[in-house]
Amino acid sequence: MADREMITIEIDDKPVSVGKDSTILEAAREIDIYIPALCNSELVEPYAACRLCIVEVDDGRKKILVTSCNYPVRKPIKVYTSSEKVLRNRKIILEMMLSRWPGVQVIKDLAKHAGIQKPRYQHPAVDLNPNACILCGLCMRICEQGIWENIINFTNRGAVRAVRMPYDSDQPHCIGCGACAEICPTGAITMVDDPNHPHDADMVRRAGMRITEEMIRFDEEQCDMRGVGTAHLVEIMDAYDLLPVMNYQYGKHEDTPKISSDVLRKFFTKGKPDGCWLGCTMACAKAIEDFELKTGPYKGEKVLVDGPEYETLGGSSNMGIFDPRFVIEYNFYCDTYGLDTISFSTGLSFVMECYETGILDKEKTGGLEIPFGAKDAALELLHQIGRGEGFGLIAGKGIRYMKKYFVENFGADPDFVTDIGMEAKGMEYSEYVTKESLAQQGGYGIALKGAQHDEAWLIFMDMVNKQIPTFEDKAEALHYFPMWRTWFGLCGLCKLPWNDVEPANNAETDEPAKVPGHVQGYCEFFEGVTGKPQTMDSLIRMSEKVYTFQRVFNLKMGFGKREHDVIPYRSAGPVTVTEYESRQERYDTQLRVDVGIDPSGMSSEEKVAAMRKYREAQYEQLLDAVYKRRGWTNDGVPTVEKLEELGIDFPDVIELVRKHGG
Amino acid sequence: MINVNGEQSEWSRGKTVRDVIKEKNYLFPLLIARINGKLIPRDKYDSTVIPDEATVDIIHLMSGG
Ligand code: SF4
Ligand code: SF4
Ligand code: FES
Repeated sequence: MADREMITIEIDDKPVSVGKDSTILEAAREIDIYIPALCNSELVEPYAACRLCIVEVDDGRKKILVTSCNYPVRKPIKVYTSSEKVLRNRKIILEMMLSRWPGVQVIKDLAKHAGIQKPRYQHPAVDLNPNACILCGLCMRICEQGIWENIINFTNRGAVRAVRMPYDSDQPHCIGCGACAEICPTGAITMVDDPNHPHDADMVRRAGMRITEEMIRFDEEQCDMRGVGTAHLVEIMDAYDLLPVMNYQYGKHEDTPKISSDVLRKFFTKGKPDGCWLGCTMACAKAIEDFELKTGPYKGEKVLVDGPEYETLGGSSNMGIFDPRFVIEYNFYCDTYGLDTISFSTGLSFVMECYETGILDKEKTGGLEIPFGAKDAALELLHQIGRGEGFGLIAGKGIRYMKKYFVENFGADPDFVTDIGMEAKGMEYSEYVTKESLAQQGGYGIALKGAQHDEAWLIFMDMVNKQIPTFEDKAEALHYFPMWRTWFGLCGLCKLPWNDVEPANNAETDEPAKVPGHVQGYCEFFEGVTGKPQTMDSLIRMSEKVYTFQRVFNLKMGFGKREHDVIPYRSAGPVTVTEYESRQERYDTQLRVDVGIDPSGMSSEEKVAAMRKYREAQYEQLLDAVYKRRGWTNDGVPTVEKLEELGIDFPDVIELVRKHGG
Repeated sequence: MINVNGEQSEWSRGKTVRDVIKEKNYLFPLLIARINGKLIPRDKYDSTVIPDEATVDIIHLMSGG
């Protein structure tokens, strides 16, 4: 980021330095000089419709009147905001406006300020409505430039000029974000879609509008969610050695740039809010149109593909495949067959490693040669799963099933498949390498629904920032974040607007990782809908009840104890010598510093074993700490006291947990 | 020497916050930088020079699904 060229100008004899091409209006605001600017907003490009912001500019040769909202500063000039000429002209404009829209409050205020009590004439197109449209064009600009929609615009000319939706119709494409209504200075636009009768619709919208504003102002330089969605994480995860490669053996690959967000950006054709959530301006879901399929029942047809997002891309590197067209095709067919791209790709990564290690061969797969990187075979297996035939009948049942099947029928070593089969509670891992973050190993292992990161994503906090060094710190994070994220589930909300864009002042808050400004927004959202005021603590409390109850439910279904929170060792450390040696320096240092043994003179096998002993013990200690923090027994069962405290101490619940020592 | 996120790191005269971010390959966009506890605004990463012996925290927030 090169620093911008600075230019010093004088406004009303006060000097101010601003970046080249800033507007005079921006420069004036820097030094708190007020210029009326009715059609201006920092959320949209200037439009110079109202002309109230006129100032007089002296460039050394001549003096001219310009609109300050769109006049760029390019050389040292002198600016006068209240010269006789400026005031006289502004007064003429305001008188005209007041005569046309005499009921509109902002105009009445500005006119009064300029010394006009009553216009001296009546405008032929006078509109007495206090909420009349004053044709500032803010609404259509925010719709087009800010929301990336283009729903409303001016129609007609002259006295009948007005803002309308096309053909005066209700536009089904309007996402109902409310940004136009929020930015309108007169209240000419009102939202009428309150079918659920929220307690305070304005409160809800204001909370939403704050996110919209941040999206407009910061998204491009923050996560670029509207540009590429979560695909931006591909190159980031690779940079931090967190992108799963070859069934989570490694965390980066030289071919990652082939499936990075820059490549995907060229495929994405829909850069608009997608209606995945009506009114959402984060708009991270992307789509690819006219994609020609190479395989399967729709071979040769051009289709629309919804995605791919990060997990689908990370799933591909996990299979050792770095071809964007493959990713798009497997994305399409997973969607079409009703398969989850995570379970499919993690499952196939396991199949591929089994193939490479000889557990599987061509005979056992019914003729498929399927080592890492075998994209044609991967697609063929996907179609077999879709059709429910051949080896697809086995692979389609998931890793937990395959592990058992391979042991019973193909003589696989049960310990090895347990180590490399990346599932917990029967659910496949999503696409992050967790070996260097103990907290995240817990995030996956303790998650109630199985190996998902949606309860907690703590890798940066833990591994990069080193913010949660002790077991207690990690346990606290594994309390707060799962409870917080569960709250989104309770309310049927998406969590991305919580932390995929951040408020301008987030860094200055006490706990930036929690994004307190947004948590506050969710409190208002909840209150706006229900009428019940909330705090951060009360939201967490709400969640804790449900979360604990879910654990009880797991218990009832046979999944709610310590033995069910086990993780495959691949997620905690290097299973094989090859894996160890690929990051030898890191692991040797850890043996020396963290474990306290000298690795020199040890064979790689011995080092793998020593590391394993240490890491497995760490995981057990983590479970102890987390259960304690959550008010569960050491066996992971919620205690009766906790249930009482949360008010979920129903007789059958008490009976159940008592039976399990709770 | 300086301490970056808990690890010792080389120091050289004139090293800026941006230099450390580049050196560490911190590609993630949602960062918070602190030098000896003091917050450094994002638009000052290029111009803020790190003193020797400083403790530098480059806090990564979270994002993604
Ligand atoms: S509600 Fe949003 S999408 Fe609809 S017209 Fe207004 S700004 Fe555009
Ligand atoms: S509806 Fe409101 S925002 Fe749109 S042009 Fe009219 S006054 Fe401006
Ligand atoms: S604010 Fe400049 S013309 Fe309206």
